[in-house]
Order: sequence, then structure tokens, then C-alpha cells
Amino acid sequence: MSERPVKRQSYWRRILGQTFVRWGARLGLLWVGILALVGVFAPFLASSFPLLLSQDGALSSPVLEHLQPVDVLFLVAFVAVLALIPMQLTLGRKLLLLAGVLSLSAVLAYTWVSPPKLVIYEQYRVAEAAGRYDWVLYAPVPYSPKDYQRDRGETGLEAPLSNGERTHWFGTEQNGADVLSRMIHASRIALGIGFVATGIAMVLGVIIGGLMGYFSGVVDILGMRLVEIFEAVPTLFLLLTFVAFFGRSLYIMMVIIGITSWPGYARYVRAEFLRLRKQDFVQAAEAAGLPLSSILFRHMLPNGMGPVLVAASFGVAAAILAEATLSFLGLGLVDDPSWGEMLNQAVQSSSFNWWMAAFPGGAIFLTVFAYNLIGESLRDAIDPYLSKSG
Amino acid sequence: MLLSVNKLHTWFRHQGRTIKAVDDVSFTIDRGETFCLVGESGSGKSITALSIMRLLPSSNLDRHDGEIRFQAEGGLTVDLSTLSGAQMRQVRGGQIAMIFQEPMSSLNPVFTIGEQILEAVNLHFPELGEEQAWERVMQALREVQLPDPETRIHAYPHQLSGGQRQRVMIAMAMACEPDLLIADEPTTALDVTVQREILRLMKALQQRTGMAILFITHDFGVVSEIADRVGVMQQGKLVEVGQTEQLIRRPQHNYSKALIAALPENLARHEQHLQVAEAEPLIRLKQFQIHFPVRKGLFRRVVDSVRAVDGVDLEIPRGQILALVGESGSGKTTLGRGILRLTEPTGGQVDFDDTDITRLDRRQLRRFRRHMQIIFQDPVSSLNPRLSIAAIITEPMKVHGIGENQDERIEIARDLLAQVQMEEDALWRYPHEFSGGQRQRIGIARALSLDPAFIVCDEITSALDVSVQAEILRMLLQLRAERGLTLLFITHNIGVVEYVSDRTAVMYQGRIVEQGPTDAIINRPQNDYTRQLIAAVPRVRL
Repeated sequence: MSERPVKRQSYWRRILGQTFVRWGARLGLLWVGILALVGVFAPFLASSFPLLLSQDGALSSPVLEHLQPVDVLFLVAFVAVLALIPMQLTLGRKLLLLAGVLSLSAVLAYTWVSPPKLVIYEQYRVAEAAGRYDWVLYAPVPYSPKDYQRDRGETGLEAPLSNGERTHWFGTEQNGADVLSRMIHASRIALGIGFVATGIAMVLGVIIGGLMGYFSGVVDILGMRLVEIFEAVPTLFLLLTFVAFFGRSLYIMMVIIGITSWPGYARYVRAEFLRLRKQDFVQAAEAAGLPLSSILFRHMLPNGMGPVLVAASFGVAAAILAEATLSFLGLGLVDDPSWGEMLNQAVQSSSFNWWMAAFPGGAIFLTVFAYNLIGESLRDAIDPYLSKSG
Repeated sequence: MLLSVNKLHTWFRHQGRTIKAVDDVSFTIDRGETFCLVGESGSGKSITALSIMRLLPSSNLDRHDGEIRFQAEGGLTVDLSTLSGAQMRQVRGGQIAMIFQEPMSSLNPVFTIGEQILEAVNLHFPELGEEQAWERVMQALREVQLPDPETRIHAYPHQLSGGQRQRVMIAMAMACEPDLLIADEPTTALDVTVQREILRLMKALQQRTGMAILFITHDFGVVSEIADRVGVMQQGKLVEVGQTEQLIRRPQHNYSKALIAALPENLARHEQHLQVAEAEPLIRLKQFQIHFPVRKGLFRRVVDSVRAVDGVDLEIPRGQILALVGESGSGKTTLGRGILRLTEPTGGQVDFDDTDITRLDRRQLRRFRRHMQIIFQDPVSSLNPRLSIAAIITEPMKVHGIGENQDERIEIARDLLAQVQMEEDALWRYPHEFSGGQRQRIGIARALSLDPAFIVCDEITSALDVSVQAEILRMLLQLRAERGLTLLFITHNIGVVEYVSDRTAVMYQGRIVEQGPTDAIINRPQNDYTRQLIAAVPRVRL
């Protein structure tokens, strides 16, 4: 029997190809990509500090001087990802390398980068009005998220594009800060909490589920009880309790969402491992005397990751929603804007200001929708019964 | 002339391309006749049958073309390809019935078998009252000789064995007294003894009712048992049609010739059937047993055990091939895996030369594994889909310290691929790019990569077409001669046993019931079960 060999490509490339052949997934990816770009370059997109200015012939960049360590970290991560993609490494190595670069740059950023403690948003505007600069180049949205523009006597609650002098594309909130700028900066929180919380849950779930599936027996029985205990914990109320006790912190939120949502992943991995254990190629690996680590991580884990990844893309959406819910309830971050907190602002003011609800609400909707679209497509691509070419 | 198919074409759409699945097929079937369509996988024989029934999925069916003239009751001739959907439903089941290969998935698990047959009866004989209809169901079950039909009529499919389910399928097909029964590999999933009973049953029903049978199979043994006339299909074309005996003895078309020459019965016997008694044993099993505990209740107490392998004494002489035959569930696969300790034995010992494998601890066993390897049945699941062939073959070598560095190991892998007759650029490909036969070659190369002395071959050819099977078997014999391998060859195919093995052991319900030189076992079986098994094997009458 002669069969023509198909074009050569690795399994994941094939799956991703099949996933992003679908329009829904492409649109989802496009939206997530835009969000990621916006998040990474937020300080350059929306800031009261000029990108560049020339004073007495000397160039300076106030934006760079005011960069926070977090901003630097985002930029380093972005560059690292771009650099890693064309490299000839396995996915696991790439992730490891990325984690290394990130932790190193986090340490460096927090020790070396020291922005001025006192932030005066209006200083450059005032100086410009006084004619002290030769020329000034501002960001596309020339307002920082917490620039309440007191110097201009902003009254707040301006509808989009209603002010003749200044353009606020999405209007301003009750303190006078620009809504678009706040949304741009809040996109980082949405992305960050989604990825970090899901990452924590996945790591925990894969480890515990893998152990249950491979060793089965007593380990499995104990593990499943643990899974059931964690599944019984109501995440939202646990979050409320923690916020009440330990104050509001983004990191606590990420960790709590992470450690309460791993049981789902553990179940998937367990089921996959139970199935894979009986597969001939795992038996062959065992018959060849391969060490346990190779059997687990080279032969079983990559073959069992499909359902986990599908669950993860839905998990990211769920984590974003959880954060938005908390912030909406007024238990989110104190100072930094997030989409949920902006919705809360919209509800709290005495009159209904549509722009304060519609834009952040729409962003939450689109992001969750995008992740769900990607997850849906990924599920179809991985499901052998549904595989089709287009 | 009951059915006459004239210039049937069927085109499929697949990934934007149009594929000719059935290409200009014409044949006729008379009343009371059995016509067999044989061919290898992908030859279009099932598609031909489904085209006649017009049961092809519309999602990827491009179009079909040609005439399917069927003489219905009362001498009226209709062209099935022009009937409307409603008219076609009348024909299906009523005049043409169909049974499939997998009796488990073709029965609905949530209804009793009685209800399922009743549904078919009600559809085609709406005038019958309820009692009469049930009577007809009972009669159908009696006809297919289902034991104890009065209670079985209320049984669910999972409560029946594979052979019984296939009987129920036949009963369902027969309940409406069709003129033509299309049977698509109805016995492929069954054991040989069950297969024989089903084939006999179909013949008896045919003699009684005078229906015609269109029988699709890949097994020339079955063809030889049941067919009046045979059609050989290759890549959608019907290349040769003829009387069974004539076609098997004197095939005219080149493809039929090649196909019949590839039957294990026809392969040139290898000369060096070694003298059995001389070689000393490499593997020696003593009172070997594998029991699986059955646990029940709250504390998972062991209440009983399934004796998969129950006290086996067996010797495999060095450099010889021992065939282990038996029906499904006889414990032959468990025995093979138990010898390698892929399934932990619960008693007895396995001596490999002078080492008792069952006493090795984990680390010793891991090192010892390079001396004994396994090749699996299913070419799809035996290779890790995420790794390239190079990684699959070199990883075991690396672990056991074969080859100085990766380059050297790749070199060895290249040699191995050449030995199993594969191109060397296969190294950088992934398993899904290969056909079943090619994957099986890669599986053999992987097993050979550790240069083992002993290999368990677990039904390695049963998922393959006969021509591929012949190549693999030939290659395996050659490798055996070159490397002095000792093989445990697990199979249910007696033709393969005869061709390949020096000694044979017959397994039944966890025990070896008979063992000895292959020739003696096949031609002069002593044990009752062995005799029954050998007699049930459909043989090509040459």
C-alpha cells in the first residue's frame, strides 16, 4: 500500500494551524494581540509626560524618567518573547528561558529603576504654556490615568469629545481623569491577572493531576479527595474574606484565583494520564527502560496537554471576570484603575454617564469573548472527531 | 438478476480536492448468490456498498454517478440512484439490509435488543399488531440461534458477547426478510471459532430464504468459505471478477495475483526451520502467573481475582520463534507483557539466561530492559505523535549509553532504518506522516535500537493489509537470521503462525493447553481445544 507522506510539521504547529484557520479564533487572537501591545506600550500611548521635548536645544524624555519598574518589566517581557519566537528550541525550553529572563529583569528593575517619588502631572503643561520648551512631543493620549487635571479646572464627567479645547475620546470620569487613558492602563491588569492566575492553576493542576494519573491507587484516591475539597470552596467568597483581612492587592487576588481553580486542570490531566498510561508508546518507553522523568514529561505530558490548554483559555476569561467582579464590588485595587473598578465608578455617580459604563464594559466583554473563541477553536482542533480543514 | 451495478462512480471531497473513491465499478448479483468484494484497506469496497445503500455522509460526498438496478418484489426493477429519500428508506431494511463490522457500536446501548429489532419490524410491517410483531422478533432471534432467546430478548447490548451481538444484528437485518443482505466485514472483530459459527449461520439463512449476500472482506480464507463469486477491488476499481475457486487458483489480473501470492499460506517457506530440540532455552517460564485483583466494597477489599495468566510453564529456545496463539481473552497479550514486566507478574519466575527477571529491583530492571523489547499491534498508538522519528529511535539508545554522542546515535538510527527498508529522511519526520506498514517498520527499528536478544511481537501484523503483512514478516525473518533474535510471536492468524514460527504454544483461559513444533501442532493437534481452533480457521482452498 502506498501512501504519500504529508507535509512535515510538528503536532503543535498542526493544531495551531487548525485552530487559527477559523475566523473566530483569528479575531480573538487579533483582539488579545492588540490588548497585549496596548498593555506593553501603555506608558507611551497614554501619559501626561511628553515623549520627547527640547529645552534650550537639549533633548530629554520625561516619559522614560517616570517609567515604573513594572513598565520596564512589561517591555523586557515583550522583547524577550519577540526574540524567542524565531529560536530553534522546544516550547518547554523557551518557556524556561522566558521565566529566567523575567525573574532576572524583575530583580534588576526593582533595584535600579527609581522614578521620582513626587509625581506632578501638570509640570510639563505649565512649563510649555510658559514657553520654556522649543518643542514638545506628547503621547497619542496626553493624559496619565491618574492625572485629574486640576490645573485646567476640570470638572469631570465630560462626555466624549464634548470639550472644545481638549480631546477626551472616551470622556472623563468624575475626578476629571481621561477614561481612555485609564482603560489603556487597566488592560495590563486584565492580561496580567488572566495569565498569572491561570498559570498558577495550570502548574498546580498538571503536577497534582499527573501524579494522580500516573501512580493511581492510593495517590489517586487521596488526590481526588483534595480536588473535591478545593472544588467545594467558593472562590468569590474566599476572595472577599481575604480582601477583608489582608487588604487589597492584585497579587493576592492572582494567587487566590490560581489556587482555587486548579482542580479542573487536575481532573483533565489525571484522565489523560490514565488513558495515556495504557497507550502503546508509553509502554514502549517503559520497555526501553527510559527514566520516569522522561516518560512523564516527554512522552505523557505533551500528549495530555490538549484538554488542559482548552480549559486554560476559558480559565483566563474566568479569571478576568473574577477580577472585574471584585473590582466592581469595590474590593479591587485601591489606586490603580481596572475595568471592573471603572464600571463601579459609573454606577456610583449620581447620573448615568454612558461612556463610563459602555467602554470598560465593552472591553471586558470583548476580552472574555476573545478567549472563549480561541478556546472553542482549540477544542475543535484537538478533538479528532471534529477535525476538518476549514 | 437481483442487483446490477453499472458504471458506479463515487467522488469525495477531501481538503479541497476531489477523490475518486469508487471508479467505474460494474457487477451483478443473482438471487441466492453470495458475492464477495475483497481488497485491501482504502480500496473502496465499503464505499461501494454504502453507495448502493445511499448511506454516504453528504458532508464530504461530492457526487455519484452510474446505475444501480435493483429488482424489487414483484419483478419490478428500480434504479436506486434515482429514488427519493422516502422511497430509499422503504428499500433500506425492507429489501436491502446491512450489517457492520463493529457489533457493539451498531447497536444502541440504551434499548434492549428486543426493542431494537421490534422497531425495524414495525417500520416495515406496520400492519402487524403488537403481539404479532413481538412474535416476529422472537422468531428472528430463534432463527439466528441465539441461546435462550426468551430472556435474551430483554437484554441490553452490553450483556451479550461479541458473537451474540453480531447474531442480533443479523436477526435485525433478517427480521424484515430482505432480498439482499450487505455484510461489511461482519466477522473481522470476532474470534475464529465465533466467526465460523456466524458464517455457517449466514449460509443456512441464505439457503432457507434464498436471499443474496454482498459480503465485504479482506480475508481470502473467509472468501474461500462463503463466496460463490468474488470481485477484487484496487484503488476504487473492480479489477477482476470470477468464480471463487477459479479466481483463487488462477488469478488473471496482476493485482489479484500479487494479493493471493502475499497470503501467508503462499509465501515461500523459509528453509532454516531450526531443529527444535537442539537449542537451549533463552527464556524459561516457571509456574508464571498474573492475577488481577477484583476489589469490592467500601474498603476495596480483594474479593476475587481474574486469572489472566494462570501457571504457565514455557521455554523459548535461543534463536527461535515461538508463536503464541489463542482467542481474545485467553491471556496471550498479558503473558507477553508479563514476561517484560510491563504488567507485574503475581507469581512464578521468568529466567532470562540465568537471570530471574521477576526478582530484579527497579534500577536493575531498567538496565536489563535493553535485552528485551516489544513491538505492538496498533501502528497508530505505538509511536509518540509529538516526537520525530529520530527522537523516538535515539532516546532509548541515549539512556542505555549506546553511541558516544547524538551524531553517532543518529548514524545508528540511519542504519536501523535501512535495515527495516525505510528511507533515511524518515528520521526528521513525525509519525502521522507514515502509513500503517511504515509505522510498524519504525516500531521494529525502535525495538532493534537497543540490540536486544529477545523481542515480544504482539499481533504486529493484524492491523495490516496482507501485502504489507507479507513484507513485514519476510523482513522479520531476515532480521532474525542476521541478528540471531529470539521472538515470542503473539497472533491469532494460523497462516502467519505456519509461515513464521518454529514452535507454537496454544493458550486457552490463561493456560498453555498444548505446545510443540509448529508443524505438529497445526497438522496433528492432540488437545481438543487446539483441534477446534485449527478447524475453525478459514483456509484458502488451493
